[in-house]
Amino acid sequence: MAVATPLALLALWEVAARLALLSPQYFPPPTAIAAGLAESLVAGDLGEHLAITVARLAMAFVVAAVPGVPLGLVMGLARPVRQAVDPYIAFLFPVPKIAMLPFLLILLGVGEPAFVLTGALSAFFQIVISTLAGVQTMDPRLLEVGENYGARGARLFRAIILPAALPAIFTGLRLGLGLALVAVVAVEFIAAKSGLGHLVYRHWQMLGTVDMYGAFALVGALGLALTRGLRALQSRMLTWQEDPGRL
Amino acid sequence: METSPSKVVVRDVGVTFPGHGRTVVALDGISLDVAPGEFLCVVGPSGSGKSTLLRVVAGLVRPDRGQVRIAADRPGTPATAMVFQEHALLPWRTVLDNVTFGLENRGVGRAEREARAREMLAMVGLTRFARLYPHQLSGGMKQRVGIARALANDPEVLLMDEPLASLDAQTRTIMQEELLRIWATLGKTVVYVTHSLEEALLLGDRIVLLTARPGRVSQVFPVELGRPRGLEVRGSPAYGVLLEKIWSELREEVLRAMDEDRGGAGPRAAST
Amino acid sequence: MPRWLTDHGIAVVSPVLLVAGWEWASATGVLREALFPRPTTVARHLGQLVTDGTLERHTATTLVRIAWAFAVSAVLGVATGLAMGSWRRLREALDPVFAVVYPIPSVLFLPLVSFLVPAGEVAVVITTAVTSFFLVALTTMHGVRQIDPLVVEAATHYGARGWRLFTAVLLPGALPSVFTGLRLGLGYALIVVIAVEIVAAGRGLGAFLWLSWQVLKVEDMYAAFLVVAVLGAALSYGLAALRARLLPWVQDVAER
Repeated sequence: MAVATPLALLALWEVAARLALLSPQYFPPPTAIAAGLAESLVAGDLGEHLAITVARLAMAFVVAAVPGVPLGLVMGLARPVRQAVDPYIAFLFPVPKIAMLPFLLILLGVGEPAFVLTGALSAFFQIVISTLAGVQTMDPRLLEVGENYGARGARLFRAIILPAALPAIFTGLRLGLGLALVAVVAVEFIAAKSGLGHLVYRHWQMLGTVDMYGAFALVGALGLALTRGLRALQSRMLTWQEDPGRL
Repeated sequence: METSPSKVVVRDVGVTFPGHGRTVVALDGISLDVAPGEFLCVVGPSGSGKSTLLRVVAGLVRPDRGQVRIAADRPGTPATAMVFQEHALLPWRTVLDNVTFGLENRGVGRAEREARAREMLAMVGLTRFARLYPHQLSGGMKQRVGIARALANDPEVLLMDEPLASLDAQTRTIMQEELLRIWATLGKTVVYVTHSLEEALLLGDRIVLLTARPGRVSQVFPVELGRPRGLEVRGSPAYGVLLEKIWSELREEVLRAMDEDRGGAGPRAAST
Repeated sequence: MPRWLTDHGIAVVSPVLLVAGWEWASATGVLREALFPRPTTVARHLGQLVTDGTLERHTATTLVRIAWAFAVSAVLGVATGLAMGSWRRLREALDPVFAVVYPIPSVLFLPLVSFLVPAGEVAVVITTAVTSFFLVALTTMHGVRQIDPLVVEAATHYGARGWRLFTAVLLPGALPSVFTGLRLGLGYALIVVIAVEIVAAGRGLGAFLWLSWQVLKVEDMYAAFLVVAVLGAALSYGLAALRARLLPWVQDVAER
């Protein structure tokens, strides 16, 4: 059932393109796109570009998560830290991270570090905010239980605070990964010479629409796989949580 | 022989729900009559279908067999109005607008419905809170709004689904007194579902005891504790006797229900 | 020392110290002034750009685009979301389409849009509207679905059916979520419009930012960035304040 509507739409597209109701140059039939996709993956460099995008994404995510989660935790636990850092987070969170790209390009030159860092920044703020929220909105009675039953300091943190915040942290990581993907692909589209985002741009400029849609579809597939996969992982790992949430 | 016609007639009502992999029989052939102006209490263990029965009478659930008839003595007024457990107020409406909701839906004019609503709010003691939102009220107050909402609709029969269950014991006792007072003033026919036998004895004219699932009528007990009734009735010997008698029946059903939850070997097995 | 002083004190002092420190570091050469111009220089430059109208022009262009894109995505998104929330069939049909399209960066739709619509403002606006549309639709739909079923039952019992049920219950019940969605959608519109302007426009804050980079006018870059940042904050937090006014019955649960 879930696949019925997309398939129906694709079928409609196929027919319209073949009958030239849609311009086949601008909207090639899905079967042609699929064929081109398969060919590029097997014989061409599409696989490489996919790997490059994924690699950038992975690095961006790590660069964002490794400092992001601890910062969120510390902010949640230590009021002065939160007071000090909050203004920057509040100020920078709504800023389109793509606007930071030119600065990074100047500082780090036009290359991988700038691309990865832009993606990382997109994810970073989300991760910090979600982690902080996870600590702040945990049921305070759990803390009382912990203290009453003799858990203090590090033990209280490990046994009570961290698990209680884990669902929110996980959600933050999931959302952050999605944001990082969007940022990385957008950066590739604008400024890079490799990666899926760049492919879409290149083929657009050369009017190689079949290849363009192929790369486009791959981006969609990547995004879908990541969101679904992570949500499933979250359900699996945090078995006590009821619903990881819709988005 | 009872000569005045019943207000509510329930005949052989059966309700089944699709459950996890198998169908669940919630109600299995319930028949009962409610006299006009009577306060009927329905008690039973969890899962006995008490709430379902109420919803069938309200018309919210269609029974798979059997029927319900409500005598319409005053055409133009709704047959039933229900007071829900957990109040079920619309959070985005003020107290006053919540009370007028049913009237609004029936097209009653603004002036009239506001007047009616204010009258009911006065009756439940919430006049000062008319313009507040539900989230600004305590649990007990929200329930009172729910009662006012039901009363404002002037139904033939008032249905109450464990309305005091989510309140703390002190508020609940106060509210029970309130209910007795309001009912004595308005004289409505009431069908009242509750878990608490003490509450049923305090409020009701008769008590219908339902069995554990599938719910059937186990017994019907008349409650002869006099009217008007107040909290002091709880100290009378007659009350104590009735409580003992009905509880021993109810206890059986509760244990049977717990047994079923456990899949067979439970306290019942242990106690025999 | 009173709590509120330390609380807000730190929040105020911290950025002030940062700016002061930056000023010093840039002036003394600890930070390369070419890359990290002094805050005072940037401020002066900003003032210049304001007086000669450049900033105004670009900002206005960007704002107009955002306004249009937001309007389109809000209207279509809320309508679609409400419909999806109310009719299971529709939801099940559209859900998979949404799931696939939603994670794709809006900017990538520019080629597609350019095939359908002549290059120009319309193309920019539509591209900007795409992801916002999905965001608004999804949050709206969620808003309808999270309404307490008991409340719906009670409303039905008290005579609200069909259209009346929709206007009196489903719509107000979904409103808080709709607002959150609109707020996120607006934020997203800003993000996307900047990216689209970088790629395809000659005017607008994104275009200005990118051009400044290409000619290495660093002070212009910082000025543009500041305006974008302020815009982002204003849109995001402005809507939050509006919500408190319009939806008085909602208690906030730590939201950003």
